[in-house]
Amino acid sequence: MHIMEGFLPWQWCLFWYLIAIPVVVYGITRIKKITDKNPETKPLLAVSGAFMFVLSSLKLPSVTGSCSHPTGNGLGAVLFGPAVASVLATIVLIFQAILLAHGGITTLGANIFSMGIVGPVAAWLVYKGIKKIGWGSSIGIFFAALLGDWLTYVTTATQLSLAFPIPTFGEAFIKFMVIFAYTQVPLAIVEGLLTVVIFEYIMQLRPDILRKLRVIGSEKAQDSPEKVLEVV
Amino acid sequence: MFENTLDNYAHSNNLTNLNPYFKILLGISTMIVSLVSTSPVIPIVIALFMSILIIFKAKISWNFYLKFFFIPFGFGLLTFFFMAVFFGVGSPILELGLFNLTVTVDGFNLGFLVFTRMLGGFTCLAFIALTTPMTELFSVLELVKIPKILLELAMLMYRYIFVLLDEAINMYHTQETRLGYSSLKKSIKSMGMLGSNLFIRTWLKGEQTYIAMESRCYDGSIKTLKKNEDIKDIGTRNLAGLILFEIILVLGVYFTGNYGVLIL
Repeated sequence: MHIMEGFLPWQWCLFWYLIAIPVVVYGITRIKKITDKNPETKPLLAVSGAFMFVLSSLKLPSVTGSCSHPTGNGLGAVLFGPAVASVLATIVLIFQAILLAHGGITTLGANIFSMGIVGPVAAWLVYKGIKKIGWGSSIGIFFAALLGDWLTYVTTATQLSLAFPIPTFGEAFIKFMVIFAYTQVPLAIVEGLLTVVIFEYIMQLRPDILRKLRVIGSEKAQDSPEKVLEVV
Repeated sequence: MFENTLDNYAHSNNLTNLNPYFKILLGISTMIVSLVSTSPVIPIVIALFMSILIIFKAKISWNFYLKFFFIPFGFGLLTFFFMAVFFGVGSPILELGLFNLTVTVDGFNLGFLVFTRMLGGFTCLAFIALTTPMTELFSVLELVKIPKILLELAMLMYRYIFVLLDEAINMYHTQETRLGYSSLKKSIKSMGMLGSNLFIRTWLKGEQTYIAMESRCYDGSIKTLKKNEDIKDIGTRNLAGLILFEIILVLGVYFTGNYGVLIL
């Protein structure tokens, strides 16, 4: 859920920028390390980012009548790990602001925090957790995308109610959550299903890619995501 | 559904050749003034001014602009109603006669302020998006010391967005002609197929790009030729106009103060 340009008061714009920037900088140093060692990962990362953008511009006719689109964040986080996914999501958000006028420049920090940091980290943790219990990859992907989405909305609602705590933060939070719940709960389920379908087709057609990324197979699946890209 | 990227307009409008630093400086500084404004007056002025710039100076067709403007306008209006009804603590001025909902003065004023700020901010964003091509934006970003690796990734991504969009559109139309989106269940299945195929194509493209780059002496950094436009080329007249304009706006913000539409 993009927060529109001009929606947040300037103090909060600044605040979310200050929180988002260190994380993105950390992600950039990771990417730099990876690409310095294996220059061939740079075009791969770039096309994956472009893929995330294109995926987010596909509109899915949704149950609530409004149009929704997949965010691709869950998939990105599971495939590349949260640090790399957050940098890719940042670039995607900038492109969405400038090419599609979704989101905005002053609210970029807040949007990066909810969609580029909280979403991917949650999705990645959920996926790793479910893998550890020993359930299948598909179930893991479904819950990763679903919870990644939901947590993104919870974060957005928190950001909005922090900015407009009227009469109190708690009451505003409940109002925003109720409004989101009507539209976003079914949407997140649809996105979860969609991500599973995408993942299963990739598994059928080109399992070697997933094996390269160590999403499935090999015992070392617990490796840090950065190592994953070094192998590619 | 895919065709509405603003890129075509950015490359072919009357302001394309204006110095990019000037356009971005104008857009961002006006956006900030709109954001810090505490009364709805200045954001409305900004929204009108920017729309006039876009339609009459940049010569974007007003038909397209209105359609484009309608989405944030509708969303803003929705937010306005939402805030007017739910975000008031003061005296009620209007009973809706439904679930005890009332419109209050402070809720109405807050909603209207946020609504106008959104319009002001959005028109500034639209001004940048519709008049400045991405490639020029990259050269501006380079000046503000964005890490090089991020810029290189962004440039490659920018190129591949359009390649992939083409493929996605083709796949989507083929699926649609075969009734792939006739029900929700089919939609999910079709879109899943589209997404996975796109990802695999993406991957192949990435591998091929690397081979192509390596055969052209890629050593880890991408070197590009830039138009030699400089921040100094803005010209004193333009710069003076810009500063004067922003000062007038800031003064306007100062004098309008906390003025709301409804005062009780």
